[in-house]
Amino acid sequence: MIAVLALIAGVVLGLVLDPTVPPALLPYLPIAVVAALDAVFGGVRAKLDGIFDDKQFVVSFISNVLVAGIIVYLGDQLGVGSQLSIGVVVVLGVRIFGNVAAIRRHLFRA
Amino acid sequence: MTSPDGGDGQRRFAPDFLTELFQNPLDPGYADAAARKARGEGRTGTAKRVVSGVSALTLVALGFLLVVAYQQTMADEPARSQARATLIDQVQSRRSETTELQKRAELLRAEVADLREKQLGGAAVARLRDLEAETGLAPVRGSGARVSVGDGPMPVDPLTGQRKSEARVRDTDLQVATNALWAAGAEAIAVNGQRLTATSTIRQAGEAILVDFRPVTTPYQVVAIGPDNLAETFRGGPAGRFFRALNAKFGISYDVAEVGNVTLDAAASPNLRHAVPPAPPSSAPTPSSKASKGG
Repeated sequence: MIAVLALIAGVVLGLVLDPTVPPALLPYLPIAVVAALDAVFGGVRAKLDGIFDDKQFVVSFISNVLVAGIIVYLGDQLGVGSQLSIGVVVVLGVRIFGNVAAIRRHLFRA
Repeated sequence: MTSPDGGDGQRRFAPDFLTELFQNPLDPGYADAAARKARGEGRTGTAKRVVSGVSALTLVALGFLLVVAYQQTMADEPARSQARATLIDQVQSRRSETTELQKRAELLRAEVADLREKQLGGAAVARLRDLEAETGLAPVRGSGARVSVGDGPMPVDPLTGQRKSEARVRDTDLQVATNALWAAGAEAIAVNGQRLTATSTIRQAGEAILVDFRPVTTPYQVVAIGPDNLAETFRGGPAGRFFRALNAKFGISYDVAEVGNVTLDAAASPNLRHAVPPAPPSSAPTPSSKASKGG
């Protein structure tokens, strides 16, 4: 409940503040979103598994976003930015898929 | 879910990273934390509240992140489509401008023709008119043939997602049609209303066909004024066979019909390539003498 409220508060905050993203950070935004989604689906699944832990969630969220950003940044510096982005998206995508499948099993028993 | 580390704190990674990734997408940390809690080492009281607060803050940050990313993507989109819309606007306004100027040029040309007829008399005017009709500078009326060709069906290739363009009428097809009509004795030809002159061009520009740099679209109507057997000659000639083959092979629509009493408009005024306006005083008599000679 608190989680949903906090999420809505974040959305409202974003709508109200309407921040402009500095152009230097723009390439990392999509990757950050994917990384954040991975942390979120992991958290939801853990919640349904009954083993949710706040600290683990916070740490995984922050580290996911940071690591994804750093990988893309490193890739950009090395000239393999798009390939590394694909790598990050594939790994996170697989994890999201697996977690969503687990959530689905919990919710629909199928 | 079975944890790979058995909850003893010593995490052992499976040798096959990808298998591990596919089988256990959940962070092993959750299992560790659950195991700690089960052992009674979980956080309590203030520490627990603080961590919950941080977690809520993280979710706030997440919502914020999602909205920012969404807005950024949406903000990028209009910029692209706006540029496109502006270009389209420009093209259209320039095109209408051209049409207007063309109309004005035609008016002025009619005026010039009137004045010239007043100045010249009888035989010269008749000769001039004949020449203008032949060269496409004056509208003509008469009977002849209409050749209609149109793009055939162009299915989308299910594999590549690209439209098959074999059944598209190409500039060379129209060139074949017009050349065959000229050869069959046509005196005047218009493609989709665009009168052809000796210097007209029929060219392909990407997917469009340009007749004298004006785009024409399918179905193409090549109307020619000429001898009575024009349609028949076209049908029996190599061009007729060519289009029948196109029709059979690619489904390009093709039809030849005789037409009676059609009017073909004049072509757009030709660009003067060599003629220049005369210097006013000294050469005043020269243009009139030239005009009478040329007329």
